[in-house]
Amino acid sequence: MRAVVVGAGFAGSLIAKVLGDNGFRVLVLEAGAHNDHDEAVRRFRTALVKTPLAPYRTTAAAPSSDYLINTGPFDYSSPYLRMNGGTGTAWTGITPRMHPEDFRTADLGRGRNWPLSYDELEPYYRAAEWEIGVAADADEQRQHLPVADGYRYPMHALPRTYLDEAIASVVDGQSIDGNELLVVGTPQARNGIPVNGYRPHGQLCAGYASCVPICPENAKYTPHRTQKQWSAAVELRTRCVVNRVHADEFGRITKVTYQRYEDDTSGRHTRHEEEADLVVLAAHAIENAKLLLMSGLANSSDQVGRNLMDHPALLTWALMPQQIGPFRGPGSTTGIEVFRSGPQRCTRAPFRIEIGNWGWGWSAGSPGSDTAEFVAAGLRGKALRQAVADRVGRQFALQFEIEQEADPANRVTLGTDLDALGNPRPSVHYGLSDYVKDGLLAAKRASDRIFELLGAEDHTSYKPDDERYFEHDGEPLRYWGAGHGGGTHVMGDSPRDSVVDRWQRCWDHPNLYAVGCGSMPSLGTSNPSLTMAALALRTAGHLVSRRPEEVVCTMSKAP
Amino acid sequence: MDAFVELSAELTGFSAEELRSTGLVEQYRALAQGAPEADIIELWYTGVWHGVVPSARAYAEGLAWKAVGVAAPGTRAPGFGSWERRPRRSTS
Ligand SMILES: Cc1cc2nc3c(=O)[nH]c(=O)nc-3n(C[C@H](O)[C@H](O)[C@H](O)COP(=O)(O)OP(=O)(O)OC[C@H]3O[C@@H](n4cnc5c(N)ncnc54)[C@H](O)[C@@H]3O)c2cc1C
Ligand code: SF4
Repeated sequence: MRAVVVGAGFAGSLIAKVLGDNGFRVLVLEAGAHNDHDEAVRRFRTALVKTPLAPYRTTAAAPSSDYLINTGPFDYSSPYLRMNGGTGTAWTGITPRMHPEDFRTADLGRGRNWPLSYDELEPYYRAAEWEIGVAADADEQRQHLPVADGYRYPMHALPRTYLDEAIASVVDGQSIDGNELLVVGTPQARNGIPVNGYRPHGQLCAGYASCVPICPENAKYTPHRTQKQWSAAVELRTRCVVNRVHADEFGRITKVTYQRYEDDTSGRHTRHEEEADLVVLAAHAIENAKLLLMSGLANSSDQVGRNLMDHPALLTWALMPQQIGPFRGPGSTTGIEVFRSGPQRCTRAPFRIEIGNWGWGWSAGSPGSDTAEFVAAGLRGKALRQAVADRVGRQFALQFEIEQEADPANRVTLGTDLDALGNPRPSVHYGLSDYVKDGLLAAKRASDRIFELLGAEDHTSYKPDDERYFEHDGEPLRYWGAGHGGGTHVMGDSPRDSVVDRWQRCWDHPNLYAVGCGSMPSLGTSNPSLTMAALALRTAGHLVSRRPEEVVCTMSKAP
Repeated sequence: MDAFVELSAELTGFSAEELRSTGLVEQYRALAQGAPEADIIELWYTGVWHGVVPSARAYAEGLAWKAVGVAAPGTRAPGFGSWERRPRRSTS
């Protein structure tokens, strides 16, 4: 069986591994160039603005998200990376599961239901947690989610930050609108202390505090780790941009065509094709949709590219009364989970709260911005040093991830502008519904209350000339792109209104699969990649044998 | 006495010895001798000179991080679990 996987990112690397281990001959075609880790670390250190993509090598032939064109009322501003390893190289590595309610969002709130339940996905969550290496405590997670009895995560939960403890000691047991607050450890795809029977890949997390965009220690999971475990049956070809998938008159996929380039700076390329018995698109939610649209495939439902969702994130920032030592260790080790579920989601979008340990770095550009402010105010010498120490040493942030419901009007289409290879640039029409805006507003109110409980000095401000600023119910608001794009080849129960079935197989093509967050009918409030990985392993199991329940056991070491 | 180091110490609140220990005095003198005060401070505190980070060391040795008592992210590893501890106050 000859399989072609399009994209050597997060989902593609996982699927290629399972197929290669189980008798498939696998060719992975990757648009981007090879990643040089040491070079990326150096580039990170000398980048003026340490954005998620700053360290990474990009090419003119396979541009990353910066070539996307926005046409809607709101900007879609989440980055993604086209390089070997994909966005999974730059990600933060936070890996919560979805809440069981999130699989029934249409019934409980807005948007669409999943064709799967939490219980059906649960074994694959365990498999994914063992496959990528997640540190968490099952008992602690059971405080808000069902986790199988007797289950152990492969690594013990990471120690909490000093900030986490300072916040928990005040807010635990307090309540907001009838929601009892509890600071809960966040599952992390970075190495902690392993449990018996698990051998971690990479080093123990040493606290470099730069997980996004790059962990110098390789303590964070990236797809490169999975690629190192590929068997000889998997062949990787980088610098190959797939631009068309071909089907015969019965809808069976026959081959893919791709453009191969050598030069990083120009669109010079050669054309190639590859026959395949099976094609798996794993090019990222937006690029998967683009490729299906370019190929004119899988779209009898007219849903390809539609239902684009993300987590519009709200950032708020403040000073604790005491020094808490930000910028030490991972970006976030705990969160407040109570707003993720419950009856309030009928009226406004639910949200998850991350306790942010890297000061006001993302929200306000600290500590450079603080220094500039004090210098402009005339501070010099010891007074300056003292002011920076006092200010930055007390900084923390909250990051709210707001659920965004599937809305067919939020969509990716083919732009009329072409990239260097002559392929259309993705065009995105994106907006925020009142449901989302009400969620953002509720998040802001929760933030106000939490800061008040903590006695924290609120420095949050959203101004009309800020990017992605808007007003809702007369209140200033702003959102940030979390990088969690999904929904663009949505999964469902019927070929009439969805693109892929419950195995991520395109309804219109028996041997074409589209994997990744693009399949998700709702994102809930959790960072989506663990769920995406669970779905990818489930699909891989299905491909290897039509008896997936058995496959997951042989595939994973999870108890 | 080294006039550039003297002036830098006065502006930044870090001693001449602390500044020398960054290993950046020569590089910064070449860039910033005679520059406006604010530019000299920005260079020492954030490792940025006119919109450019002149070296990885300039980023790693930024005095803003040292004032807070933490390493510039991605440059030094304080060790597993170090983030649990009460922060030490570095300001002298
Ligand atoms: C800053 C940031 C932080 C994040 N943090 C988290 C987090 O903490 N937790 C979480 O759950 N999620 C996080 N995410 C989201 C996560 O990175 C994505 O969900 C995940 O990487 C998606 O996986 P994927 O395999 O679909 O796409 P990718 O990982 O992007 O891989 C797609 C691959 O396909 C290749 N490709 C694209 N087009 C073509 C083509 N035409 N031909 C051949 N190859 C192609 C790309 O080069 C790439 O290698 C974060 C995202 C960002 C941007
Ligand atoms: S805290 Fe540091 S060592 Fe740990 S994962 Fe993040 S960057 Fe890597």
